[in-house]
Amino acid sequence: MIREHGYSHWNGQFIERRWPWWPITRLNLKLAFRRKYFRPVFALSFLPAFFFIVAIYISERIEDFKFMTRGGRLVLFEVNPNFFKSYLASDFLLFMLILIMVFAGAGLIADDFRFNALPLYFSRPLKKKDYLVGKAAVVAFFVLTLTIFPAIIFILIKMLFAGNFSLLRSYPWLPLSIIGYSLFLTLFFCLYTLFLSCLSRNSRYVSVIVFAVYFFSDFLYAFLYNWFRRPFLSLLSIKFNLQQVASFAFRVKPVQPIPWFWSLLTLGLFCFLAGYFIIRKIKAVEVIR
Amino acid sequence: MKPLIVTKNLSRWYGNVLGLSDVNLEIGPGITGLLGPNGAGKSTLLKLITGQIRPSLGLVTIDGRPVRGRADLFYRLGYCPEQDAFFEGFTGREFLYWMLRLHHFSEKEAAEKAKEMLILVELEADADRPIRSYSRGMRQRLKLAQALAHDPEILILDEPLNGLDPLGKRKMIRLIRDFGREGRLVIVSSHILPEIEALTKQIILIHQGKVFAQGEIHEIRDLIERHPHVVSIKTVDSRRLAAFLIQKSYVVKAYFGENDEDLLVETRDRDKFFEFLLQLVAKGEISIEEITSPDDNLQAVFDYLIGKA
Repeated sequence: MIREHGYSHWNGQFIERRWPWWPITRLNLKLAFRRKYFRPVFALSFLPAFFFIVAIYISERIEDFKFMTRGGRLVLFEVNPNFFKSYLASDFLLFMLILIMVFAGAGLIADDFRFNALPLYFSRPLKKKDYLVGKAAVVAFFVLTLTIFPAIIFILIKMLFAGNFSLLRSYPWLPLSIIGYSLFLTLFFCLYTLFLSCLSRNSRYVSVIVFAVYFFSDFLYAFLYNWFRRPFLSLLSIKFNLQQVASFAFRVKPVQPIPWFWSLLTLGLFCFLAGYFIIRKIKAVEVIR
Repeated sequence: MKPLIVTKNLSRWYGNVLGLSDVNLEIGPGITGLLGPNGAGKSTLLKLITGQIRPSLGLVTIDGRPVRGRADLFYRLGYCPEQDAFFEGFTGREFLYWMLRLHHFSEKEAAEKAKEMLILVELEADADRPIRSYSRGMRQRLKLAQALAHDPEILILDEPLNGLDPLGKRKMIRLIRDFGREGRLVIVSSHILPEIEALTKQIILIHQGKVFAQGEIHEIRDLIERHPHVVSIKTVDSRRLAAFLIQKSYVVKAYFGENDEDLLVETRDRDKFFEFLLQLVAKGEISIEEITSPDDNLQAVFDYLIGKA
């Protein structure tokens, strides 16, 4: 049959693409959305954004909702930098991001190890850099979709409901803070997920590790803090460090009385070591035959 | 013809384990068979040639340019790894489509070419089934399809015929030979001698990480002087012929086979031996029914070189 069909040569011309990593990203996004339960989890992660939009609406119709205030102020519904910090560094959002990483990020590299897919990538016109950028872009897509995207929507909705630019006039640096902190969060999650995904060929183990490392760091902090009452112990917690950096980015009072840059340094060191490990780990499978 | 692939003092260790030692090769267009037992270093050599792993020592060049770090070389190169390498959740069609997309084919071109390749390797009927449900032979054909899909000039195939049924093997052999005939460079590794013999006469024999021999099977055979050639002659005059031959200095041994009509002769100089035999026939001294060289095949060469014979 082969003889009848024959091999037909391709007469096109290979064009070097500007973003050779893009097909890797699309391929892995496709795989992520095919995972069982991923779609509901992804949809659920927009729940806080929905509540915050409702809060913006209430903030503009505060008179109608006075009955809820018992004469005091509705601090929660004040749209200011703290409002954005509350969203972008909320426990729930961070939890949902971790959950998304469990579903969509754990297998990014682990599955390639498992299915010996690295030679498939590296026998194509792709560099190690393209491979890693392609994988990181998957994480970035999910993190940015849940951070920058809703935060910009919040600003637009606030302006729409208020009918003025008072928010941006009062806090002209706010968009920069949103972008800066979202990018920082993205960088952290990219390196956190890819690093843990490098550790095993089994994406289920990686899923457990992604979940466990995040919560164990928080548990360790809470446990040790209970004993020693030292604020610096909070540097052990991933969640705390992210929230501490957010406090700085949105110019709000930090949770613990320690300088914000200690948290930035801690996360920065983690990112550096994770990046170094990923680069060392990604090479073609070296099987002795 | 100018060699396309050149390796210079190529060596690779895996910790204390030697993968490949001091390999110097020049490989030109056509099909070259890479032959050696399991663990000989074939896959290591192919991974070094395709830039998948870094040499501990030495250099590999393709068309005069070092392979490592040259992603653009892969526009011209197709690689079929020995191990299964798939995205198991995908269908065969999706897999080929994405492999072509990674080769920078446009969406339309990738879809068309994927379909074409599925027809070529006879997977069209199963194209929309998940790869995880494919049999070994189907996976092998799909792997080969992804290596061929972008129409490469250089084709590196690591044990491509593993797991194929005899009919499938024959078809793939024909396909690979067609590629070689077009002047493309094809390297095929195998530890199964008849597979390589069916594909090419040009071989590289590799064992324990070292290249034992490179060239045509017959040329290599001729170089092994310490091993006499065995020639089997079927003749009714076997005893008379044995008497003639045993007088010659280049004949080491003559003995009878399973029946009296089969004479087996071991000679150190095949050319002189056949010249003499021809003279005898021409003079009408003897009549010969059949001549065969039982050891003039790859198995014999292989066994001699790795010390089995």
